[in-house]
Amino acid sequence: MSTLVIVLVCLPFATAMITWLAPVKLSQYLTMFVAVATFAMALGLLPRTSNEIVTAGSLLRVDALSQVFLLAVTFLYMTTSFFARGYLALGEGANARRYGRRFYAGFNLFCWTLIVVPLVNGLALLWVAIEITTVISALLVAIDDTEGASEAAWKYVLLASLGLGIALFATIMMYYAGTRLHGASYSLSYSTLLSGASHYDPKVVRFAFVLAVLGYGTKMGLFPVHTWLPDAHSEAPTPVSALLSGALLAVSFYAILRFFQIAFLSLGPSFPRNVLLVFGVATLLLAALYLLSQRDMKRLLAYSSVEHMGILAIGMSFSATIAVVGVLLQVLAHAAAKGTAFFGVGSVVRKFGTKDMTKIRGGIGALPWSGPMLVLAVLALSAMPPFGIFRSEFDIVYGGLSQPRDVIVAIFVVLVIVAFFGLSWFTTETMLSADPSSSQISGEAIVVEKGEVSNWIVLSMFVGLVALLILGVHPPAPLVHLLDRAAAELRGGR
Amino acid sequence: MNSVIVSPYGVQAIQVLTILLGAPLVSGVIAHAEGRLQGRRGPRILQPYYDIAKFFTKETIVTNESSWVFLAGPIVAFACYLTVPLLIPVLTTFPLPLGFSGDILGGGFILALAGFSVALSGAESGAPYAQLGSSRAMTFGALIEPTILFVIFAVALITHTDLPYALSATIRSSTSQMVRPSHVLAAVAFFLVVLVDTGRIPIETHSGTLEFGMIDEARTLEHSGPPLALLKWGSTMKQLILYTILINVFLAPWGLAATGKWSSVLLAVAALLGKAMALGLVFAVIDNLFSKLRLFKITEFIASAFLLAVLSVLVFYVGGG
Amino acid sequence: MVPSTYDGVAAMLALLVLLTEFAMLRAPLLRSQVRLYAFQSLVVTGLATYVAASKHIDELYVLAALSLVLKVVIVPSLILRLLRDADTDLAGSSVLGVASAILIALVVAAFGFFAVGSLHVSSSSLPTSSLAIACAIVLVAFVLIILRSDVVSQAIGFFSLENGVSVASLVVASGLPLIVDIAFLFDLLVAVVVFGVIMRVHHARNATLSTSDFDRLKG
Repeated sequence: MSTLVIVLVCLPFATAMITWLAPVKLSQYLTMFVAVATFAMALGLLPRTSNEIVTAGSLLRVDALSQVFLLAVTFLYMTTSFFARGYLALGEGANARRYGRRFYAGFNLFCWTLIVVPLVNGLALLWVAIEITTVISALLVAIDDTEGASEAAWKYVLLASLGLGIALFATIMMYYAGTRLHGASYSLSYSTLLSGASHYDPKVVRFAFVLAVLGYGTKMGLFPVHTWLPDAHSEAPTPVSALLSGALLAVSFYAILRFFQIAFLSLGPSFPRNVLLVFGVATLLLAALYLLSQRDMKRLLAYSSVEHMGILAIGMSFSATIAVVGVLLQVLAHAAAKGTAFFGVGSVVRKFGTKDMTKIRGGIGALPWSGPMLVLAVLALSAMPPFGIFRSEFDIVYGGLSQPRDVIVAIFVVLVIVAFFGLSWFTTETMLSADPSSSQISGEAIVVEKGEVSNWIVLSMFVGLVALLILGVHPPAPLVHLLDRAAAELRGGR
Repeated sequence: MNSVIVSPYGVQAIQVLTILLGAPLVSGVIAHAEGRLQGRRGPRILQPYYDIAKFFTKETIVTNESSWVFLAGPIVAFACYLTVPLLIPVLTTFPLPLGFSGDILGGGFILALAGFSVALSGAESGAPYAQLGSSRAMTFGALIEPTILFVIFAVALITHTDLPYALSATIRSSTSQMVRPSHVLAAVAFFLVVLVDTGRIPIETHSGTLEFGMIDEARTLEHSGPPLALLKWGSTMKQLILYTILINVFLAPWGLAATGKWSSVLLAVAALLGKAMALGLVFAVIDNLFSKLRLFKITEFIASAFLLAVLSVLVFYVGGG
Repeated sequence: MVPSTYDGVAAMLALLVLLTEFAMLRAPLLRSQVRLYAFQSLVVTGLATYVAASKHIDELYVLAALSLVLKVVIVPSLILRLLRDADTDLAGSSVLGVASAILIALVVAAFGFFAVGSLHVSSSSLPTSSLAIACAIVLVAFVLIILRSDVVSQAIGFFSLENGVSVASLVVASGLPLIVDIAFLFDLLVAVVVFGVIMRVHHARNATLSTSDFDRLKG
């Protein structure tokens, strides 16, 4: 099994190197093949990791919690590789070839770092891995070389680096917290930290935890430090936006959860939960309000990501196990739903040539397959049954009510409904409104011909929706088992 | 004779005399060194004495509009400069009887009174440049005041008293006191304060003749005769007093007389003047290395001195250090 | 309680780093800012050497050497080259005057001091003042980034923030395994390259290093 982990770490990296050299056509198929293989390997790890911890050397370690995020990342790797095949309309010529080469090398490298984050063992390596996700994704955000892209990339790389500076501080403080117990020099591996955490000086751990939430929260998109997120999501190429939203935010949340685990053992449950609650409520409130006033389609989805990150933080603040299970399920379902929604938006953007929602009308008419699937994905994002997010948010609310934290739950539900309103309003306007060619509103709207942009896009969205349905209707038993175990790990078990 | 013990009051008097008589010498050495550094031959070392002596023989001219304040100012200032050496450790490690009659704040007040009376006297002349100098001197004096206060806080925190003697003794006690961050910061802040208060580059060109850039110097433009002599002498004394505080309280409180013996007191006088001249050389070098700041940039300079002083207090609070 | 000579010297070096940070806040020329960064890194290297020598941690010598090469030589020269190529802007623009900027930074630094002070970590191995200074360095770097509106100052702000974290790691976690330290440094190098690329892209596109036109994306 540990060989599988090592292959998981090496394969995407090797692919990135090959795609840097190989012709674009080959890169596209190779990437898809590798992505499917990675997802299959992640699934193959599942039976083992839901029962025990798999390690490979002292540097790699997969437990149930890692496995959840690994699944989310590899699934998105797979669907995004399909989508990218359809989305990138690479013409002939040296420029297109160069763009394609850069894109595929960067794409695979980015996915590689995202896969590495949940696999590494220890807070220091975790920080390093997340820092690398930042630098690579910043380059991918800037790859389009427009004014907006360079602005977004700069804001992103600066803010995220600052956040990671704080996170490094947090890591060092956590290291300091352990020095009294483990001696002056020890490795920051999870098993060492978790075994000793209950003896650490609570003041130092508290300081480290708050710093970690602030630091990694920057990358996750928590309230006061989320400002890079809508810019980067809207200016990046759409496949990158999907990965940023579904996977990058999730692995940043994973980093916070690792600190949460230690803080939970050291400080008891209430302090870390309250910290996350404050950040979560503020984030959710902000996102819900901003969702009501967007014009740009990709910004709309970006704020929806902020909203979901707020939901995750709030979910972690509830003590019931089912809420934690809900949070982890939400990570998976959000990856699938947000990916699908971005794919649909990518299709719309390619079709209409704009992201401005005031100009897009009659999307369903123009895109017979991806149009309706986009509407379904948005419904899924708004936690409509029968999709996965409905189940996960239901779990979270149920967990909150059983605690009971009625006020928080009430605020939560109201804000989620506001967000739902924002999301669905704009989607109905653009997708379900009458076809501009046949009606009187054709003043500003862009008229397009009917037909899909690419079947690959349809395929990627279809896979995403199927996954959402499975998660929503009947999550398979091994997955349920995995989530239960991961939730137990987050609550002090090992 | 070497073993004859001087009475504490005698030492106290010698302290005042050292400042009174040594100050022009230190100024002369600095001026000479500056000249050398600039490639000139420089004025004679004893030139300040000749200047002062000459001014005493000149007549005093007072405008019709000026009141008695114009003439009283220099005298009050001079008296103040004679008082301060009673309070600070000029020559001895042990406190002298009158040393307790005023703490570091008291000394500061007396110095401020001196500056104020000079400024008042300058303003009383009615001449535009003298008034300009007075108002600038008071403005920057007010701006530097918070820094001085924070330096005093730092000193008080380190020694739990605000007596200059106590800090001097604390610094001597160990090297860890010497490298203690809050002490180092306070010392550097006070160094900057001395730069401002003695009117050196980068605050003003003390030897220049350009009235627009003058601050302290401009206040005395209208005086003549004995009052001018008192002002010149006073300003050299002020400089030596500040040097003495910087040296004997912050930087190098060594070479002080531990007993009241003649020999050790005389040695202490020589040591003080030597250290003051060495410090003066540092100031002369600074004079040559930097250019004068624009008037509006002086606040930045003062802000950095303030920064150091505040950090000194903060470091003390957080790390005991 | 008088801190030991070791703590005193360590804290003094940390303070020197903090003062350099303040000097950066003051320096108007981008070039002088880069030089100040090089100097600051040199002090951090000195601190690493000092800790290595007095605690007998040989690994830290390696770290000091690496950071000397990387942070004192390579990074500043990379940025200086960028500045040479982009000879449009000599000085960055600051939102506030120097004196007000320093006062704000001072308040922020005081906040950092008291935040660490309120931890009340009274352990013999921890020089609290150095940790507090490290915290203040990080916060002042934030002020620098917020108050300056050009990419070079902001990047320098980030690098100096990293210096602040290095100070923290030297004083509280000097035993950190060498491999981890090197990973951190390597990451910095990668980050520098990416910063450089994006700075160049920005300059090539807008013919300026200023961030004042970074207001297209809102809402």
